[in-house]
Amino acid sequence: MSKFTGVWAIFEYLDETTDTIEQVREQGVQPTVITPCPRHEIDHALGNPSTIIPWIALAFGALGCLIGYSLPAWTASDWVLPVSGKPILAIPPFTIIGFELTILFTAIHTLLGLAILAIIDSFRFPIPNAAKKYPRFQRDRFGVVVRCETDKIEEFEAIMKKNGAEEVHVEKD
Amino acid sequence: MGTTAEYNATAGRVIIDEHQGHPGIKATTLGYAQINDEMLAMLDKPRPSYYLLLLGFLMALVLGALSLAIQIDVGIGYSGISHPIAWGFYITNFVFWIGIGHAGTLISAVFYLTRAPWRTAIYRSAEAMTVFAVMTAGLFPLLHTGRPWLAYWLIPYPNERMLWVNFKSPLVWDVFAVTTYMSVSIMFFMLGLIPDLAILRDEAVRKGNKLKAMIYAPLALAWRGTNHQWVHYMRGYLIFAAIATPLVFSVHSIVSWDFAMSSVPGWHTTIFAPYFVAGAIFSGLSMVLTVLIPMRAVFGLQDYITNHVIQSVSKMIIFTSIIVGYAYASEFFIGYYSGSPFERAIFYYRPFGEMESWTLLGDNKINFPQIAFWLMVFCNVIAPIPLWRWKIRNNPLAVWIIVALVNVGMWFERFNIVGSSLQHEYDPASWGEYWPTIVEVGITVGSFGFFFTLFTLFAKSLPPMAIMELKEATIPPMKNAAKGH
Repeated sequence: MSKFTGVWAIFEYLDETTDTIEQVREQGVQPTVITPCPRHEIDHALGNPSTIIPWIALAFGALGCLIGYSLPAWTASDWVLPVSGKPILAIPPFTIIGFELTILFTAIHTLLGLAILAIIDSFRFPIPNAAKKYPRFQRDRFGVVVRCETDKIEEFEAIMKKNGAEEVHVEKD
Repeated sequence: MGTTAEYNATAGRVIIDEHQGHPGIKATTLGYAQINDEMLAMLDKPRPSYYLLLLGFLMALVLGALSLAIQIDVGIGYSGISHPIAWGFYITNFVFWIGIGHAGTLISAVFYLTRAPWRTAIYRSAEAMTVFAVMTAGLFPLLHTGRPWLAYWLIPYPNERMLWVNFKSPLVWDVFAVTTYMSVSIMFFMLGLIPDLAILRDEAVRKGNKLKAMIYAPLALAWRGTNHQWVHYMRGYLIFAAIATPLVFSVHSIVSWDFAMSSVPGWHTTIFAPYFVAGAIFSGLSMVLTVLIPMRAVFGLQDYITNHVIQSVSKMIIFTSIIVGYAYASEFFIGYYSGSPFERAIFYYRPFGEMESWTLLGDNKINFPQIAFWLMVFCNVIAPIPLWRWKIRNNPLAVWIIVALVNVGMWFERFNIVGSSLQHEYDPASWGEYWPTIVEVGITVGSFGFFFTLFTLFAKSLPPMAIMELKEATIPPMKNAAKGH
């Protein structure tokens, strides 16, 4: 993961960052952008990337719902408590357990999904160690990281400088 | 006076331009670095008064712990709970604290979905209150059982007794509802904290504080703020908000069914679920203001928790106060209209006590439920009325006095429901009287100590406001402002 060849730059302004992203994408490269908070301008410039998180939530929510109904149904059949001729398998009370476990499973697996996707993405879209150690990205600066071949470095360096980058760093490994 | 200008600006229809900031919330016009620094300054070394406050709460907590130790040593008989009043202070406290825990998720989830801009500055603290309040609440059903070390029997697991829990019992629904709510609240809270912990980590690196950096680095879970992380994070956060929203309304509905599913007069009523939910939101929002108004004064957060924010929460308090007031009246009407002598008797007993001994001169014996009833009506229905006036809503001290009264009123409302019906059920031969013992009072005081100790520690160890979201809500740094997006 430490092997990184490419360019990364620091920007003070959001519009400079979005301009850079658009120009980098015109060269056929998808940059990684580091921001102190989410901005929809960045998403638009990056072409509105999507995520599979909602599908993970849906799948595990459905699993939770299934378990939420089947656990009480199974236990009620395993240890029968007859009360005044009322049904042993009663849907309304089991709906409460079904509802709660749907929510619980959705929440737990959304969180796990976020963690796992973050780990996968850190391998798919690496960022140089120097950029990781730069302490102002969480504070008030924007970063654009471009991973490219050595012969393309100068081209991206020029784009970043042209758009007013505070600092431009070249990494060759 | 800035606050008047804020009000005039926010009166009527407000069109919020994100490149101008929200007219009622000054924080939406501050720069990223300023927000960062001001928020982190809140975590600086505390003043001596902080330790004094913490000591006070810890003493209350110790009192609760001692009372609990006595009760465990002697047994549940040391409390005032006895036949026919099986539910007393402990269940009252349980319902009260669960209610307090409603505001956090309401503010962080429901108002997130409805895009209420005033939530940003207060949601982190409100969410922390939810977590701590639900933790406090969760203790009480366990203490109430008398043998809390057997609490795991409530969980359905294969066991040598060859038994399963009864899923048709509202008490088992409650176990599932409360544990789910607690788990989801904690996860939601932790999820919101991740980007802020990364800020704390990087700030520690920037200032060369290696110890802090070592502590915050693992907590921040390698958060870098890349677009890949943000896209998953924001969608995940939205899903959390979406699933937490029905949870807010379901938890107190299910708690209310602990009562409503029984056939006890005064409890067996369909109004209970919305009545409890409205009461929970009412008490939760009041607790949020009770804590945040002093916090705003101590930390000088007038730019963040503006009068506009206090006004918005106050309006929600008025709204829920009306619902709660309507529910009180409706209960009495249905008690009368049902034609059931038992329903009529309990709704006579709650305000006036025993029917035979009551006189206009008031020489009847006062029971605890009568005190609870009148405090409830005064604090929850009458005390919030001044909030209708803008001048009162715009005066933080006046709002604080009102919300503090609401907290008192909501505790007594819970007691009014829990305590009175069991004292005056069907058969006069099984009527009884309940007064709490010193142990129950001690544990109740201890629960407040527990809650406020946790909150006080939180306020100095983690950012009490969501730094990332404050930045998201403010005007982004643009070189060419006219460019927009």
